[in-house]
Amino acid sequence: MTNASEPTLFRLRVAYPKLGRLKYLGHLELIHTVEQIVRRAKLPYAVTQGFSPHMRIAYTSALPVGTSSTAEYFDVYLTELVPAEFALKLLQGAAPVDLRPLGAAYVELRRPALTAEINEVHYLLEVFVNPGFSVTDEAVSQVLSGWYDQSAEIPYRRGKKTKSLDVRHLLKGCSHRVMPDGRIWLELNTRCDNEGSLRPEIIVAALDQALRGLEPGVDEEIVSTGIQKLVTISSYNVERCSQRIRIDDASEVHPLGHELEAPQGSLTARSAAEALSNL
Amino acid sequence: MRVAYENRFSELEPLLARVEKPTRYINHEWGALYKPEAEHRCALIYPDVYEVGLPNQGIAILYRNLNEAEGLSCERGYIPWVDMADEMRAAGIPLLSLEGAAPIASFDVVGFHVPHEMACTNYLEGLDLAGIPLHAADRGEDDPIVICGGPSVYNPEPLAPFFDCMMIGEGEEQIVEFCQRHRELRDAGASRHEMLRELSKIGGVYVPSLYEVRHDEPCSPHGYTVPREGEDVQPVVYKRVVKDFGATNPVPQAVVPYMQIVQDRLCVEVLRGCARGCRFCQAGMTYRPVRERSADQVVSAVTGGLAHMGYDEVSLNSLSTTDHSKCAEILNRLNRRLGDTGISISVPSQRLDSFGVDMAAAVAGEKKGGLTFAPEAGSQRMRDIINKNVTEEDLERATRAAFEAGWRRIKLYFMMGLPGETDEDIVAIAELADHTLEIAREVVPKEQRGGISVSISVSVFIPKAHTPFQWCPQLDDAEVKRRQQLLFHSVKNRAVRIHCHDAATSLVEAVMSRGGRDIAPLIEGAWRRGQRFDAWTEQFELERWEEAAAELGMDLRALAKESFELDWHLPWEHVSPGVSRGFLLREYRRSLEGVTTPDCTRESCTGCGVCPTLKADNVLVGERA
Repeated sequence: MTNASEPTLFRLRVAYPKLGRLKYLGHLELIHTVEQIVRRAKLPYAVTQGFSPHMRIAYTSALPVGTSSTAEYFDVYLTELVPAEFALKLLQGAAPVDLRPLGAAYVELRRPALTAEINEVHYLLEVFVNPGFSVTDEAVSQVLSGWYDQSAEIPYRRGKKTKSLDVRHLLKGCSHRVMPDGRIWLELNTRCDNEGSLRPEIIVAALDQALRGLEPGVDEEIVSTGIQKLVTISSYNVERCSQRIRIDDASEVHPLGHELEAPQGSLTARSAAEALSNL
Repeated sequence: MRVAYENRFSELEPLLARVEKPTRYINHEWGALYKPEAEHRCALIYPDVYEVGLPNQGIAILYRNLNEAEGLSCERGYIPWVDMADEMRAAGIPLLSLEGAAPIASFDVVGFHVPHEMACTNYLEGLDLAGIPLHAADRGEDDPIVICGGPSVYNPEPLAPFFDCMMIGEGEEQIVEFCQRHRELRDAGASRHEMLRELSKIGGVYVPSLYEVRHDEPCSPHGYTVPREGEDVQPVVYKRVVKDFGATNPVPQAVVPYMQIVQDRLCVEVLRGCARGCRFCQAGMTYRPVRERSADQVVSAVTGGLAHMGYDEVSLNSLSTTDHSKCAEILNRLNRRLGDTGISISVPSQRLDSFGVDMAAAVAGEKKGGLTFAPEAGSQRMRDIINKNVTEEDLERATRAAFEAGWRRIKLYFMMGLPGETDEDIVAIAELADHTLEIAREVVPKEQRGGISVSISVSVFIPKAHTPFQWCPQLDDAEVKRRQQLLFHSVKNRAVRIHCHDAATSLVEAVMSRGGRDIAPLIEGAWRRGQRFDAWTEQFELERWEEAAAELGMDLRALAKESFELDWHLPWEHVSPGVSRGFLLREYRRSLEGVTTPDCTRESCTGCGVCPTLKADNVLVGERA
């Protein structure tokens, strides 16, 4: 792992959200901002060698612009061991509220990169149905189970490429709740591996088409472009609510080693509160 | 009733997913200042998109000073890019401030920055989006007081009808006085007209409605401006100047943007003013006198500012940073302090005569991007005419030092169309460029030669107000194009990249630089035809300007190329940066003879008039080399 000539490094993993207006930050803007937070926190970060030295830091996969999150992570390499709780306080003091870190812990240097380790991603969606359409719990169930039963492949276009979403492979599980006011809460458990990951907006577009009796992506094109205009659905909010390291069906590892509470103002916290009040 | 000050972000938010770069509109950046409880509110708007406006130091200074003053607040605004502007109009959402997401029309004072002439249509775009009448004369008691200020207000007349007050000179003290006085007048129930009269008594405030344009004495076709009959106002409004520059905050920047923008770094203004006296340069005349910060102040500002804001780059800003008498000391101390942090120091606008081996070693640390020098003209004859006191030996030495120190990309700035320019002067530009590439190939080791890049950027000379060349015509755009072709054909080496500024944009810029109040309807006509963001090549359409001119019976080319007689009243002489007419005239005559004039911070006073007129002095913290 380390040889004698290299100084010892410490790999601090930090969990943080992306909430409110800051869900509109692009990935490059986000990492640029995180680096500023680390510098403002005055953590003893390691710098790469070479022509253009920069901070040694690594991130989880990019979120689409407009998608919020309660479960983002970065690993920053430090040259000195700063107690994790203290480092967390420094980072919290240097971060805008909507990116304020939630937890921090040291992880082993030899572990794979975050993007290689994380293989399961959960999304929570709040879907608003257009007035004039009424969507029942059964209708949604039928669409979703139909895709599973038929091992649906949903064609869509991303940029100039036509791709296909393999529902059975990428969508490991799915649950939904239709609220009395017609809103739908939808939770997607998706696989994320070398072969790709699922973009929730395609599921929403496919749902919109299926609810209109169309065969998704076949009768009408689905274009993957972030938040889009739909027919039965007036608008929706998406949040990445969990990223996990699944070892097998029965066991998994949390990236930080322990669970964290969803922060105030997140879709996840609101959904949980609504579920409680509906009991 | 004035529009209510209230947060309307929820109306804007649904549009964010549909526009380019939504980060332009979201605010909530680190360091943003917000005082919703203040009794008096000012909105300061940069007339371009967020990422262009945010780095502006002028607005950063005023923003901090206003928010630090008791009872006053300041929020920022920018012009939405065309996609967002169209969406906002369709949705009926007015222009909003960033911090409070409140309608711009709900503020007490609305100020626009005036960075350059080509922002002219964007003031109208901003006012129209805000729902504020475009003309000062049409504004009522409930409308905000609309003001402007910045480096390009020294010919105020083409913009005069759109503004209630125009702020001439350095605004850091003036804007606070202005807003405090406005608040008192407002609270005392003064009428709009009474307010403007009172506000005109603040130093450096020009209220166009209290002046009128006359033609009865010898003058340019645009006339000249004098106090309106019966108004008790100064015949000449002199610029405001900060006498004790060292007492001002060296790190006025507060906001750290999320967006990665071109000048996203800590900026410390190490000195203000430049007395080199280049005869084409408006900033060199309007930012006098020269005032330096001490080395201690700069070093502690840089280290403090970096820690507070989290930047990885610092820029030591001014018109000519290497002229600072302690420049070498500052760079050495900073390099020692910032050693292993990956933080780099940049020094913009390097002068050829001060860039040597030492300077090459002291800036940019490990990261070596491009380096830019500005010889401005190709031949020594031409450089003497413009008083650019650098020689071909300076260029040779500087570029050699840069290539030896590891730089691979060099860019040279030139101007075309300078007074007295001949074809030989154009060919000389090509020869300098070719020679620079030869030096690179000689100095750079063989295996690294692939990285060599020499490029030249050639802009069109535009005669500017309050410079020794203010009487000169602009070169005809057809002739500009011919000389550009001559340049392209004269550069022998194909590896030299040549970029020439668009002759059409320069034509409009010249009209704005030299015109009078009669030009305002032209700006309005172009905007009504859809012109906005004229500084963006893809948004600029000369046809709209030509149509607007034709409707008014004007000819853009005739306006740009008319020369002014030396004894005429000029359209801008009722505002002044303190440089006397006599000095400008003397400098113009010396240019005709090819005689240069020294720099008063190195040799004796050249009699420009700034110090006695503004009752200020050059402040140097050491001997200049």
